[in-house]
Amino acid sequence: MEEDRLWKFRKPAWLNSAWARNTGVYGAGALFSLAFYVLIDSAVWSHSPLNGSDVHVTFVDWLPFIFSSLGMLIINSVEKARLSADSFSYSGSGVAWKARIVLFLGFAALAGGMAGGVVVFVLKFVVPEVGWPMMGMGVENVVANALVGLSSVVLWISQNMEDEYSYNLSL
Amino acid sequence: MPSAGLKTIIALSFVLAVGFLLVILSCALWKVYYPLLVVATYVLAPVPNWICGRCANPDDFVESSGGNAVLDLGRFCTGFMVVMGIALPAVLAHSHLIEMGAMVMCVIGGLLIYGTIISFGMFFQEEQEF
Repeated sequence: MEEDRLWKFRKPAWLNSAWARNTGVYGAGALFSLAFYVLIDSAVWSHSPLNGSDVHVTFVDWLPFIFSSLGMLIINSVEKARLSADSFSYSGSGVAWKARIVLFLGFAALAGGMAGGVVVFVLKFVVPEVGWPMMGMGVENVVANALVGLSSVVLWISQNMEDEYSYNLSL
Repeated sequence: MPSAGLKTIIALSFVLAVGFLLVILSCALWKVYYPLLVVATYVLAPVPNWICGRCANPDDFVESSGGNAVLDLGRFCTGFMVVMGIALPAVLAHSHLIEMGAMVMCVIGGLLIYGTIISFGMFFQEEQEF
């Protein structure tokens, strides 16, 4: 595998340990939970007596989060090993091609969710010039979608670590 | 793990009792019983790991991702639950459903409970991991 290396610097050894991989997966769950509860916080705050305005969190605010979670689910459900067309014996039936299409849909849903969060923030909170404590709900929406993206990045990286790890074991 | 004897059990149960004390106090002092949810969260937190650990095939040494994905799912859910135990009181306190002091006590108590569960699992598990 040494001559297949693409980058000049090799990965540090601790990155390949099972410990680092497990920590990555736990961390991804933690980040996703953080995103979920940031959004829950905006919804709960919006219907609490603290919210004096008539701006409320409705289903529209949840929609970007739903899309980015869906994208995260799709991205991390795809088998990474099928992605490279030159992997032996799987390129025949066009699995790599299908995997790329599905992965593209997943990334599109994730990016669309993040863009949707920004859209909701701009159209619902910035343009009508909502005052500051109410503005927090829009900011939380953007933060939640960014955290979902971060979580899927962490999960993706730690799942790629797994391949290296199992390869080292099988040697 | 060596020397996990009577003293460990006594210390762990003591810490568990202190954790429950803090959580129940955080509810009862302000007569708002939402923080009890944290106990349920932390008790349920290791459950996905256990279930998925059973579902995965332990004989699969060269881990082709069939069994491993299930393990990762369990870890993901556990990480979700652990942060949920901290985030839930924070959400409640932010909307003034519970007081700030109740939030702090409840988070500390929840962490003590979860730490007890985790260290109990670490001390008294059979040597089967990896």
